[in-house]
Amino acid sequence: MTKTTIPVHLDINGHHHELQLEPRVTLLDALRDRLGLTGTKKGCDHGQCGACTVHVDGERVLACLTLAAQVEGRTVTTIEGLAREGEPHPVQAAFLEQDAFQCGYCTPGQIMSAVACIREGHAGSDDEIREYMAGNLCRCGAYPHIVAAVRQAALEVAS
Amino acid sequence: MRDFSYLRAGSVDAARQAAALPGAMLFAGGTTLIDLAKCGVAEPETLVDITHLEGLNGIELNERGATIGALAKTSHVADHAGIKSRFPAVSEALWQAASAQIRNMATIGGNLMQRTRCPYFRDPANFPACNKREPGSGCSAVGGVTRGHAVLGTSGACIAMYPGDLAVALVAFDAIVHLGDRQVSVDDFFLLPGTTPDREHAIEPGEMITAIEIPGSAAARRSTYLKIRDRQSYEFAAASAAVGIEFEADGRTIRDLRVALGGVATKPWRARAVEDALKGKVLEPDAVRAASLLAIEGAVDHGANHYKIELAPRVVARAILKMGETA
Amino acid sequence: MTVRNIRHGDASDGALAEVVGGRLSRVDGPAKITGAAKYAVEQQLEGLAYAVLVESTIASGKVRAIDTEEAQAAPGVLQVLTPDTIISLKPASDWFGTPPPDKPYCPLVRDITFSGQHVAAVVAETFEQAVAAAALLKVSYDETPAIVDLSDAKAGDGIPIDAMTKEWGDAQAAFASAPVRICAAYNTPREYQAPMEPHGLIARWEGDHLTVWEPSQWLDGMARTYAEWFGVPFENVRLVSPYIGGGFGSKALALSHGAVAASAAKMLGRPVRLVMTRPQTFTGYGGRAATRQTVTIGADRQGKIQSIVHRGVNETSVDGMWVEPLGSVTSIMYATPNFSSRQNVVRVNSVVPGAMRAPGENPSAFGIESAIDELAYEVGIDPLEIRLRNYAEQDPEAKKAWSTRQLREAFATGAERFGWSRRTPEPRSMRDGNQLIGWGVAAGTYPVRRAYGEAIVRILADGSVEVESSSIDMGQGTYTILVQTAAETVGVPADNVVVKLGDSRFPRAGVAGGSRLAGVMTGAVYKAATSALDQLIGLAISDPRSPFHALQANTLVVANGRISSPRGDGPDVSISELLKSVGRDHIEATGDTMPANSTPEDRYKNYTTIAMALPHTEGDYSRHSWCAHFIEVRVDEDFGTVRVSRVVSALDSGRLYNPKLAESQWKGGIIMGIGQALLEEGIVDRRHGRIVNNNLADYLVPTNADIPDIEVISVGIPDLHSSVLGGKGVGELAIVGVAPAIANAVFHATGKRVRDLPITLEKLI
Repeated sequence: MTKTTIPVHLDINGHHHELQLEPRVTLLDALRDRLGLTGTKKGCDHGQCGACTVHVDGERVLACLTLAAQVEGRTVTTIEGLAREGEPHPVQAAFLEQDAFQCGYCTPGQIMSAVACIREGHAGSDDEIREYMAGNLCRCGAYPHIVAAVRQAALEVAS
Repeated sequence: MRDFSYLRAGSVDAARQAAALPGAMLFAGGTTLIDLAKCGVAEPETLVDITHLEGLNGIELNERGATIGALAKTSHVADHAGIKSRFPAVSEALWQAASAQIRNMATIGGNLMQRTRCPYFRDPANFPACNKREPGSGCSAVGGVTRGHAVLGTSGACIAMYPGDLAVALVAFDAIVHLGDRQVSVDDFFLLPGTTPDREHAIEPGEMITAIEIPGSAAARRSTYLKIRDRQSYEFAAASAAVGIEFEADGRTIRDLRVALGGVATKPWRARAVEDALKGKVLEPDAVRAASLLAIEGAVDHGANHYKIELAPRVVARAILKMGETA
Repeated sequence: MTVRNIRHGDASDGALAEVVGGRLSRVDGPAKITGAAKYAVEQQLEGLAYAVLVESTIASGKVRAIDTEEAQAAPGVLQVLTPDTIISLKPASDWFGTPPPDKPYCPLVRDITFSGQHVAAVVAETFEQAVAAAALLKVSYDETPAIVDLSDAKAGDGIPIDAMTKEWGDAQAAFASAPVRICAAYNTPREYQAPMEPHGLIARWEGDHLTVWEPSQWLDGMARTYAEWFGVPFENVRLVSPYIGGGFGSKALALSHGAVAASAAKMLGRPVRLVMTRPQTFTGYGGRAATRQTVTIGADRQGKIQSIVHRGVNETSVDGMWVEPLGSVTSIMYATPNFSSRQNVVRVNSVVPGAMRAPGENPSAFGIESAIDELAYEVGIDPLEIRLRNYAEQDPEAKKAWSTRQLREAFATGAERFGWSRRTPEPRSMRDGNQLIGWGVAAGTYPVRRAYGEAIVRILADGSVEVESSSIDMGQGTYTILVQTAAETVGVPADNVVVKLGDSRFPRAGVAGGSRLAGVMTGAVYKAATSALDQLIGLAISDPRSPFHALQANTLVVANGRISSPRGDGPDVSISELLKSVGRDHIEATGDTMPANSTPEDRYKNYTTIAMALPHTEGDYSRHSWCAHFIEVRVDEDFGTVRVSRVVSALDSGRLYNPKLAESQWKGGIIMGIGQALLEEGIVDRRHGRIVNNNLADYLVPTNADIPDIEVISVGIPDLHSSVLGGKGVGELAIVGVAPAIANAVFHATGKRVRDLPITLEKLI
């Protein structure tokens, strides 16, 4: 039996989008397949890798386990909405400077997670950064450079 | 995922009524439910989204203890100053669970409804037999890959491990689940599999968790959650222990002790035998190690999970001794 | 050929970020940190349909029937593909170019040889509809007993692979008479590449032209396979792969899911996207084969090796052949007068295993580098010292000089930085509270694989430089080092160079595998850029309209995008001004590293097969990269948990084209090695022949919290026998030797020798 689609209004990166979706459509698939916002990546689709990390009302969450319909009325920020007036966010700049990625596929999720990690106050030491960035797998093995980038950006954000 | 309808509940009562309908399920953080729906395990007709309900995400502390709204995010509870100081084991259990992103999604109530990670339970296409999914269909885990399965509280019908962390701390401190007007102790809220492993929680259709109450105590204030696993983070426990301790005025004699185990049992496992063996005794390493062996009384392994029987008492002993060191 | 301006490739190299050897930041970085980088399956195409695979749930037997009725009727379903309904394809040759068997190819199967084999697919208007409909297919089977793994009683001893046999001296006799003898068995489990980007593709047909957007380590090789399957000319297939979300060996070949998607697109007349689910990535292609080795070493009481006898086995599939060369490090790491290595492969009901970071060298090193550590304790010699006592001054197998071998320097430098001299030799002699501390060392190596590549370099009217190649960048840094190569060679700022990769319409390249691409492509771009520069200077000197015409110079200098005379007299104009003055809108040059007399057939074979790769022992030299890992572990004495707390690795990859990016790749290899040592294992349900931990929550790869700071040190020197610009391999090298270094450290910490990876807590508790 099929259910009808429903209208879903999404606020993403400050832009309003009106979609007609089946309720089962995840935020991740809505972003990637309906809105062309492919910066948010699909690595496992089950909350096991962190590649789909976005911010909902300023907090980092996994778009693969979030229904699009669920975030109507909330504010969604993706990697595409992080830079301000063309200037990269300090975390983005630090990732480039520290070479905190290789293939780049986990990178948007890492960056969204890192921005939140700093905002939460969980970037106080290297060990704390490691623990609070552990939800973002990186198979290329950029972890030491990710820690360096988060450490650097945390100092910049604080100053 | 099969198709479903989406309802956004406007009130607790509306949520309860909607959830009582056939095929309807309450839906909060989604970290278990959407995952299981994608696995083909959960097949809801209707999801009742309760995440937009107001007034259910509070964290209140008073002289009696803490009351945490069912929709409080696990990350917020973990970082709450009052929880950290008065219930360190609760905070530690939470921040060591899952990942930061999942903790921002998962709610306290939803966390209690978390289901097992048994790989056979999660894969209906390949393993049709699962008494937890399909009562009477059998258990695919017995005789299979059992490294992550329970050694305590198992039955012939099911050996799936309870994977959560929070409830282990809650059961140690006699927390109470509020289902609206009805209240159930956390220990009673989680059911042993017995012959009905499909029934995991003492909750009826149309009921909804509204809050968790954790009585304050000196043991809760001096508590810890020790989680041992293969990977340093973002993994379920190989074995874990929530321990709280209160000493007599001499600072050595144990007045109150709380011990619960995770990662080894079919439900959050209170180890009262360990508590009873040590209460009134002076905290002393050999006595602690000997008493900790009582934690796995009655344990039955299935081969590859035998190590849990060795590991769990050591985790308990380490946690108790760690709490003693800070005397 | 001569090489101009070759730099030293050591500490004096790379003073300027923009030249070869410099620490230029990743030029594809800005696209990756902003989400602008579109990976293959992220193309937005009109009319895209979505395909989902259905896999076998048995490991051996036959599909009896597939009931498609319910799925056909499901909302949005466009097509249900089964072995009966999918179009028949032609067979394709393998990666050596071996002519295929004379029977049609069907990527959906009736005869099941492993659990997870593709039996059907559903195509629908949306992804959600395809997923839901795929779950409605009912497949019934006639199941037959499967051989589940190497330990299966039905598996047998397998098939001897004569090509793997290496013998010199009389190893058995020398072992029998050696005063010190050790013998042990070392096992590695199935391991998976697990790139963060799952495999998938978009296929679109326009007439008999096929475009495939697919993450690929080898565009031209995959294009060949698609062309052969569908019986269209090679030129009709276009592979596009601008960014690749990790491969580690797994994305080099066109696989059956690609055939399914391209068939569906052809049958439907619409572009089709098919992406594997994460569980499907564990059976849709092969990970590293499980291996078994026995290593026996006979030595004198001073630890000098007299004989090595090595026997290896790896698993392969029922109908495919994968040989994981287990004697590859065993035969070259240490000098020994007597040697014997043989290998069998055993057929099991699994997907055919495949290449995963340093196939062969990786498990081989786990055997020999563990065994020599055991020998060190047996004779009471420091594990570092015993490696130096048996140092191979030349290739013991090929009996040729090393092109370069900075392994002694790696041992010395690594030991110094690590503080190895402070190590106490006894096991369990170092501790910190409940934690037993262990220090271990192991060496690694990887051969220099050489092939050919070609590139176009254009100098454009605005003075910028454009480079095109069908090679790829999956994070190794191809974009960046080719910018550096072109910038330095032509003499323009790196900002003025654009490198375009990942499109099979560009000049061709071989596989990005075996750590060969950087050496191949820097050489090709260097040659093309040199040729373009020569044309530019030639025009400037000889064209009557050039401002330099009157100067009557023999040559000119191009630097920072400007042309001038070497003496500093005469004009100083920008490239753009010069091109304008001589009436040219661009200069273009193609460069390749193929032998001069190569035919078009040679070129096709070179770029679409691996048959023309040069042996690493070709000519007078044996060419390899080398490394030494020094690793500290902390083992909880009660819990058996092992955590790596310190890593110092010294590596010889020859000249580094970009140390910043090479260091990242080295660290990445070390981290994958930590995962291999401590976490990674495909676990088979032996009743069903099925991998049950086929996801990223249960197949554990390291998280950030598992990884300490890692120090990597380059001890390489330029090796012009290995590549045009002096580099050797980077990407595979660093994983080799990590697992034995950790196992050796665990032994030092605990006194327990773990010979079965991974080293999980129950093995130490």
